[in-house]
Amino acid sequence: MDLHDIKAFSVLDARGLTCPMPLLKTKKELKGVPAGEILEIWGTDPGSKNDIPHFGDKGGNTFLGFYDDDEGYTRYYIRKG
Amino acid sequence: MSSVSFWSSLKEEARRNYIAIFEQEWPTWLAGIFLALVALLIFLWKGPWGVAAAYRNVGDWIFYAGGVGEERPFSPLLHPIVLTSAGLLIGAFVSALMSRQFKLHKAPPLEYAKSAVGGAFMGAGAVLAAGCNVGGFYTAAAMLDFGGVAMMAGLIVGAWIGLRYLLWEMEHVPQRGVEQHPPGEKWLGVQPYIGGTVLVLVIAAFYLYAVFDDAELGGLLFFGFLIGLIMHRSRFCFVRAFRCPFMTGDAEMVKVVAMSLMIYGMGVAVIKWAWIQEPSMGVNHNFWIGSLLGGVIFGIGMLIAGGCASSTLWRIGEGQTKMVVTFIAFALTNSLLARALKSVDLYDKMGQGVFIPDTLTWYVTVPTFIVFFVFWAFVAIWNEKSEKLVIF
Repeated sequence: MDLHDIKAFSVLDARGLTCPMPLLKTKKELKGVPAGEILEIWGTDPGSKNDIPHFGDKGGNTFLGFYDDDEGYTRYYIRKG
Repeated sequence: MSSVSFWSSLKEEARRNYIAIFEQEWPTWLAGIFLALVALLIFLWKGPWGVAAAYRNVGDWIFYAGGVGEERPFSPLLHPIVLTSAGLLIGAFVSALMSRQFKLHKAPPLEYAKSAVGGAFMGAGAVLAAGCNVGGFYTAAAMLDFGGVAMMAGLIVGAWIGLRYLLWEMEHVPQRGVEQHPPGEKWLGVQPYIGGTVLVLVIAAFYLYAVFDDAELGGLLFFGFLIGLIMHRSRFCFVRAFRCPFMTGDAEMVKVVAMSLMIYGMGVAVIKWAWIQEPSMGVNHNFWIGSLLGGVIFGIGMLIAGGCASSTLWRIGEGQTKMVVTFIAFALTNSLLARALKSVDLYDKMGQGVFIPDTLTWYVTVPTFIVFFVFWAFVAIWNEKSEKLVIF
């Protein structure tokens, strides 16, 4: 799956937030995403590159991947299980 | 048979090692082992590793410069813990540059306010416990001081309260992300050269201290540098060991910190039992009231600020501007509260260091220490599967 083509159900803007807020907000936001839909997270905290993929594969969810956007932030994708 | 020259082979190997050290992230378990070993080296070299005294020294100097207090604070250039902590910050700075990750990170306004409040909590907690997450918990426990265990209990409670606050904040205080500027190609390219230059300067500083007959201080700067490098490359964060069991149930950092403490503590046991260092060294924490209460307050602060005493330093090293606010608030509060408590004779009532082998004997202390931290890790592993302690 090409991450650039993903149409997310919702987008969480966590740019500028640092550990643990991006992960905390991701967990909260994911609760409102229907099963099978995708949550997109925008983040700038370097620690999120470990935390979000690790968390994204838990609880029946699937972490689809991430890439660095040209605008200076990273986009992460999680499919709700 | 290939015709590879010695120099091209060397160049290829250097490139591979550079990628392994500075481009690939280190596993946290490896960092836990390295951290314990460097902490043991510091103990053998000079004394117990700590961080909070460096914040205190900075706070004392700020107040002194502002005309508060007549006694001139200790020179930071000759202060063992200031040098270790400065080394930590510089080590993280070099690591960030060498891995092309140094960048000034902006945060939303609320995050700066939380940094100040969290830093103030940590500064106060570190006074009561006579140490931070490093000196009051990690090192105190390894030095076989009951105060380390009491602060650990306080940190667990404080992390729970702090997480509760963050959950409340998330529900009631809307916050939007802030745009960041992407780093330019030129800046990315030049970073490793700046990092290499700073590395050479750190090594030169060691020799400079040695020339002035103070190799001990130069060594502390270098050990701190290694800790900064280890922590940044692995993103080693003590806060995760206390927060994650309640937040996601993740047990990884509990396992790493427990393992690291077992190595550090058993190394200290060998050194102290053999009288290579004085057994009472580093047994000066405020057991139990100060350690427990200080741990709770410090735990709340580290959750609100998003970093503890050590991770505040390495995060400043990678360019997190909000952690500078945490640093200043920590330093000022720590300095101020220490003066206030001493002026009303309250500080001595916070407790005193209790050497575990004096109470339990060496023969019981060593296995009990291991069993205690193995038990902590197993509780975290059970919680990871059951999520019984996860509050969100």
